[in-house]
Amino acid sequence: MNSIIKGAAYTLIHAPDMVVHNGTTQTTERIVNPNSDYLKALPKHLRSFDDAAIYPPNQVYIGNQHPEFLNTIGDLPWYNKLIKGASRFSKNGEIMPEEEFYLLMHAVDAFNLVMLDADFIKKYKPIFDKHPVVTAELKAKIGAGFILNDIEAEIKNNHAEGLYFNHKLIGCVKRAHDIDENLSAHVILENLVSKASSVTALLNLIKHTGISPDEVDMVLDCSEEAVGDMNQRGGGNLAKACAESCGFVNASGSDIRAFCAAPTHAIIHAAALVASGTYDNVIVAAGGSTAKLGMNGKDHVKKEMPVLEDVVGSFAVLISKNDGVSPEILSPYTGKHTVGSGSSPQAVTKALVADPLEKMGIRIVDIDKFSAEMHNPDVTKPAGAGDVPLANFKMIGALAVMRGEFDRTQIDAFTAKHGNPGWAPTQGHIPSGVPFLEFARQDILAGKIKNSMIIGKGSLFLGRMTNLFDGVSFIIQKNAGISAQNTASDIKKPKIILTGLGSEHGEQNMIEGALQASKANAADITYIGSNGDHSKAVSIVETNCEKIMHEKMDAMLNSKQADGAVTMHYSFPIGVSTIGRVITPAYGKAMYIASTTGTSSTNRAEAMVKNALNGIIVAKASGVKTPKVGILNVDGARSCEKALKDLKAAGYDIEFAGSNRSDGGCIMRGNDAMTAACDVLVCDSLTGNVLMKMFSAFTTGGNYESIGFGYGPGMASDYEKLVLILSRASGAPVVANSILFAAELVNGNYKKVLKDEYKKAEKAGLEKVLEAVVKASGAKKSTAKKAGAKEIKAPKQEVVDTDINGVEVENLDAAVEAVWAAGIYASSGMGCTGIVIQVAKANEKKARDVLIKKGFLVKE
Amino acid sequence: MDLENQKRVKEFAEKFGGENVVVVIGAAEAEAAGLAAETVTAGDPTFAGPLTGVSLGLKVFHICEEEIKSVVDAGVYDAQVGMMEMVLDVPEIAKEMNSIRSQHCKF
Repeated sequence: MNSIIKGAAYTLIHAPDMVVHNGTTQTTERIVNPNSDYLKALPKHLRSFDDAAIYPPNQVYIGNQHPEFLNTIGDLPWYNKLIKGASRFSKNGEIMPEEEFYLLMHAVDAFNLVMLDADFIKKYKPIFDKHPVVTAELKAKIGAGFILNDIEAEIKNNHAEGLYFNHKLIGCVKRAHDIDENLSAHVILENLVSKASSVTALLNLIKHTGISPDEVDMVLDCSEEAVGDMNQRGGGNLAKACAESCGFVNASGSDIRAFCAAPTHAIIHAAALVASGTYDNVIVAAGGSTAKLGMNGKDHVKKEMPVLEDVVGSFAVLISKNDGVSPEILSPYTGKHTVGSGSSPQAVTKALVADPLEKMGIRIVDIDKFSAEMHNPDVTKPAGAGDVPLANFKMIGALAVMRGEFDRTQIDAFTAKHGNPGWAPTQGHIPSGVPFLEFARQDILAGKIKNSMIIGKGSLFLGRMTNLFDGVSFIIQKNAGISAQNTASDIKKPKIILTGLGSEHGEQNMIEGALQASKANAADITYIGSNGDHSKAVSIVETNCEKIMHEKMDAMLNSKQADGAVTMHYSFPIGVSTIGRVITPAYGKAMYIASTTGTSSTNRAEAMVKNALNGIIVAKASGVKTPKVGILNVDGARSCEKALKDLKAAGYDIEFAGSNRSDGGCIMRGNDAMTAACDVLVCDSLTGNVLMKMFSAFTTGGNYESIGFGYGPGMASDYEKLVLILSRASGAPVVANSILFAAELVNGNYKKVLKDEYKKAEKAGLEKVLEAVVKASGAKKSTAKKAGAKEIKAPKQEVVDTDINGVEVENLDAAVEAVWAAGIYASSGMGCTGIVIQVAKANEKKARDVLIKKGFLVKE
Repeated sequence: MDLENQKRVKEFAEKFGGENVVVVIGAAEAEAAGLAAETVTAGDPTFAGPLTGVSLGLKVFHICEEEIKSVVDAGVYDAQVGMMEMVLDVPEIAKEMNSIRSQHCKF
């Protein structure tokens, strides 16, 4: 069962003095250019706490305003559009002033490394003591403080880092080791800021979700600091240190590091830990970074604006056991950028966004809101880094355009509908997707949106261990209720097309089939045909022309507007054969017939081996876990049996059926077919076609097929389109069953099954097995040419619209070449009753004459 | 421009000669592309990196400019850049790049 998001808390620490003393842009400048104009100008550009607290993006971060609020306050800049009267507290967070934060740093310092001035403590402790979420235990840890002289001496003599308030020294952080630079005062200060800020978020989360501190099982820290000493520099477990400060007595912790992508990684970990039943309540948390304070300060000062990067950000998210109400995290459908994904923005977006959605069988536009790199553009745009979230949404939109989901002109409309303006402070991991989680949770609970995709991205090259990019994504969606297991089906039913023109029983028969299928509520059905008289259960695309009908069907499949189609009289390329499903008469048991139309190979024995594989794939994708395979006792059966057994011996697992007859074996006789002694009955297409008709129409006399699921989907190793074939004689019940068969295959992820099975078979040497079976059958490939024969080139290609039936399958290639030799363009294809030579109408007579003359066709 | 990248550009120019180096930029904004172009032609405008006060005057193009696009295999270009090309303001970027080249490019 999926885990759920119980709640998320967000806090900001206003830290203007840390901007000056701890931000790396400023510390670097002090070393390189100590008398710079920038450093002189900087103090005038720092905001007061009040201005930072009522700054619109900060109010959004802590949850007092929805991101959509930013669309209503007008164009950038936003720093002059303060929300008068806004509170520093929200129901799930707060903005903490620097003085309170220094006291909290002192309270969470387990090694007496923070020294605060006694007067400072005296002045601000009474305020700190009134803090609504800081625990009494933490408040009790505040000591009496030190005299300023001692603090100054510690800085001067022992390399302590000063702590400043209103530009005055009020304390310091001492080094924790004399030599070890990993325990230097600088590192300890950064780690303590990360720890204390994480604690603010954790305490707010406890208040917000109402969970008792002793119910927390595990904390995962995903900040960007390394905690450790010289023997284990990134030793870690800041998470457990934070859990201790918050009184989570039953929790342990561990740290997850992946640059800015870490929060999304950590939530995927947490969701899996809860979904697996390992823990019931896991918190993912991160404190913020002092190094990134004022990172773009130079640009902000140059543009005469406040230095907006004056807050340390932090957050905490509670992931819990499914309560049947809160939005679920879809653990099986996470996206990940892999080592092999490639680094172009296109490859990255595909891996993070398109791949998981494809796995779910839904489109990009089916996700209501995306959240990726939600950086506040008020900060980044003046620094020349553009509008980061907007750029992300545009990339997602552009990918949707490339996938044919909508037109290029709709990208802006897409970003407006599926994105949000950015609001998060530019603290790397802090804006990385997660700031939207609580909004998404509330919007889903309120029915405003049904789902959201959270994307985290990381720039691994910064650590100089790899040039690879990184990213992961996950989807949260409306809770399907406690009993639901298959969450993907809840989000969208497979979209199946039914084409109606060409039925011997008229369109009303086809529409009746669609309406019968719609009652099962298992597919969204689109009917292509002339407008019939039917209810709104099925959507309609109108046409009176069979050719246009198939073109529309193909276009919808190619653009992924539809997942599959059920049709008649459709030409597959050579190499594709269809796998039908029938109800056998003896016990009413279903059986797959492999194959029923199409040609998987022009060599009979090779075709049967491929049919066996395709049959296994279709059976597995529609829910038969280990299909039992039998081979119909026709010409080529023994060669096929040997080939399949060779494949099994080489590692491709095939479960063979046993005949009901006393001599057993996997070769199936007539009575085995009647009783469905196997799940997949392997045969050649022509025999399969006859069987299909017999099983579908034996109660009606033949003109009306009343039983079964139709001639089934076209399958081949490289054929991903899902097209299921019906006979022109198929009656409404078969039409309905075929639509549901298509939906089953989509839900069963037939594409993945197809890929996996062929991969396994190829690993077991499929190619060699096929070569051997062709050789053993004694048949020469029809493409084999006589030695010295001239190669015949195809004449200029033209539109072929006329089928010539009657050529034997093994002569197909030679027949096409004979027509070419007469200067007529021809191609081969699969018609309703077997293979066809296709030519232009004007050339039909001439082509027929050639074929008759060369002996490929019998004169009528 | 990233300090490490500035260092590498400087080293390449010294090793191969400025006339033999072309810098291809992938920035997503005209302003950012212009800053990077300025860095490898006139010198680092932020006075922070190794190219501060070093005017290499290198040939520099954005990946979306026609000069680069025309020499890349169309299929590869579409697979690697096609999506971003749709997203970026290419005319604005080209305008900015042309302006920097006309002022500072030496080759």
